[in-house]
Amino acid sequence: MGIEDIFANPLLLNILINFAVGLIVTISLNLEVGFADIPQFGRVLTVLMGALVAGGITGRIVASIYGKPSGVEYANHLINYKLVDELSRLLAQSPTLSITMLVLTLIIAAILGGIVGYLCSYPALRLEEAYLGITLLAFGDVLQLVVWNYDPIAGGTEGVMIPDVFRWIGTGPVRFVGATFIILGIALLVFAYAERIARSPFGRSLKAMRDAPLAAEVYGKDIVALRARVLIIGGALAAMGGALWALYTGSFKAVSYSRLTWTFWPWAYMMLGGTGNNVGMLVGVLVFSIVRTLIYTYKDLIGSVIPINPNWLEYMLVGLVIIAISLFRPQGLLPEKPVFALPRKKIEKIRKAVLGENIEESEAKES
Amino acid sequence: MIEIFTRAIAYSGGIALAAAGITLIYMATGTFNFAHASKVAWGFYIVYAMMSLLGGSPYYYVIPAALFSAFLGFVTYFFVNRYLLKRKADMVTLMMSTLGVDLIFFAFLNVFADYLTEVYKLSARYFVMELKDPIIMRMGATEIRAVPVVSFISVILVTIGIYLFMTRTNFGIAMRTTIENPELAQVLGINPEKIYLAAWLLGGGMAGLSGAFLSLTISGYPSVGMTILVTLFAGSIVGGLDSIIASILGGFLIGMVEQLGTYSLSVALGGWICAYRPIIPMVAMVITLLFFPRGLATIDWKKVLGKLGVKI
Repeated sequence: MGIEDIFANPLLLNILINFAVGLIVTISLNLEVGFADIPQFGRVLTVLMGALVAGGITGRIVASIYGKPSGVEYANHLINYKLVDELSRLLAQSPTLSITMLVLTLIIAAILGGIVGYLCSYPALRLEEAYLGITLLAFGDVLQLVVWNYDPIAGGTEGVMIPDVFRWIGTGPVRFVGATFIILGIALLVFAYAERIARSPFGRSLKAMRDAPLAAEVYGKDIVALRARVLIIGGALAAMGGALWALYTGSFKAVSYSRLTWTFWPWAYMMLGGTGNNVGMLVGVLVFSIVRTLIYTYKDLIGSVIPINPNWLEYMLVGLVIIAISLFRPQGLLPEKPVFALPRKKIEKIRKAVLGENIEESEAKES
Repeated sequence: MIEIFTRAIAYSGGIALAAAGITLIYMATGTFNFAHASKVAWGFYIVYAMMSLLGGSPYYYVIPAALFSAFLGFVTYFFVNRYLLKRKADMVTLMMSTLGVDLIFFAFLNVFADYLTEVYKLSARYFVMELKDPIIMRMGATEIRAVPVVSFISVILVTIGIYLFMTRTNFGIAMRTTIENPELAQVLGINPEKIYLAAWLLGGGMAGLSGAFLSLTISGYPSVGMTILVTLFAGSIVGGLDSIIASILGGFLIGMVEQLGTYSLSVALGGWICAYRPIIPMVAMVITLLFFPRGLATIDWKKVLGKLGVKI
């Protein structure tokens, strides 16, 4: 039994892919909500933007490289599925092009997501909490509705298929295992990047702005620039998450990018993990991915025990978790801790170097 | 044309009632209530289920719908919101906790719809009740049904009722005091918990009333609340979260803009625009907020009129 056979277990694979994509989106949400205190109830907006890049742009680029139709007719569902099937087979023979397309999709998604995030910073500066949250929520719904109804971009209600940029890895389960690990790798990179932000002067300015905007301004922090920057970064990361999900599933349909799945669930993950703490996101997303995948996988079994549709059970469960967290542990499983700019050992070393021999003396004084 | 207008009035009345409920709960407790979506949807289903099973006019079941949603408001307050208010939780926590409540109510609504479908063989996952509404008047070929009139009168009654309640009754004045300054109200011997509970009950009741009227105007399905939630929020916010009367007007305005705006755009540009109907209230909301970040209630009309050269 090879390693791919172990991971080809659909249960494990589902948990891993849900974890990876969920982590990217939740980290981006945490940057905006946890670090910058922006009530981002429109996370789906940039996620959908990224998925739209994968659905509407990636395929067209591939099609034009191979000299196939890439205009409005590309999104016609009668043409699209045949065309994409052909493109996927061509892509499978060219790993270089596949990887280039993956990277290119992520770059375009990040740029467009960043632009959308920047546009959101205009209301974000003018409106107060509830007003802003609902405005962002409305933005997400507007984009979903437009993509759902307007066929030429990405097939409207029929959706589009996406040329498979992962098929060069292998066929059947091997493709899914490979794709999952690539996406997981990207998710961990995103996590490392978010941790870097947390330890950077930028991250500390964000938290200063969150805790006391007036004081931060007094210290010369530009609130406008900080908010715009975090919205750009958050938007870009979320768009990458959306693009990766669309590339992994190999299809795009606006209806699957609802505010429930891509805004409220990441909020629940974030609250469970501990708002403001990146490590908490790992825990929150992992717990939820496991539970949701288990419910999904054992639907029929659950259905035979409890006489209700397990779909609704999932809603009840997520609802109960959200309520329980807000009632009993509002700080989440792993509450936010002060972040040191340097590793602790280094700080101790510097402290020793500065205080020299007197260190024991001063410690004695302190205690 | 008349038909479109009466339909718009019935719809806007429903939106106005629900928007007023959102604002009432927000003013009293500072909670921006996501669970309003399910309360409105339960209003739909109470009317539908009772009418299908017991028969008779849908108007018999308007009050039960309002009572049931008021009960849901009570549940939200008693089991969740009460503890958060005691802890002085921040606004985002309050908001998210109602989202959790909404998911649970939504799940139960789905279970209820499944039950109606399986046990009573009703098509409860999608229904249209417009035709059950009695016709009260005929104007040539157009029939005018009762719901526009009932909905409009209810909105006016609720507006007058709230106004009198808030200005003429001791309880209403105590409520306003608590909204203005909870600590000072407590010093005066007003129990804020009673005020919060009253707000949740009244707000829930208005949501149920809204759902009952909307069920005779638009088609019903379990996620109908989630679909129109943004319109409800838009109504409440466009009016401004500082005044219930303003949010009734805001909700009415948003409803009219949505219905008549879609109609006039479809005449001007073609029928394809109808698919984008839900965008119109959202765009109206965003534009309003960009000019008046705290809603229409905060416009200083004297100043505006003064600029236009009108003297009061």
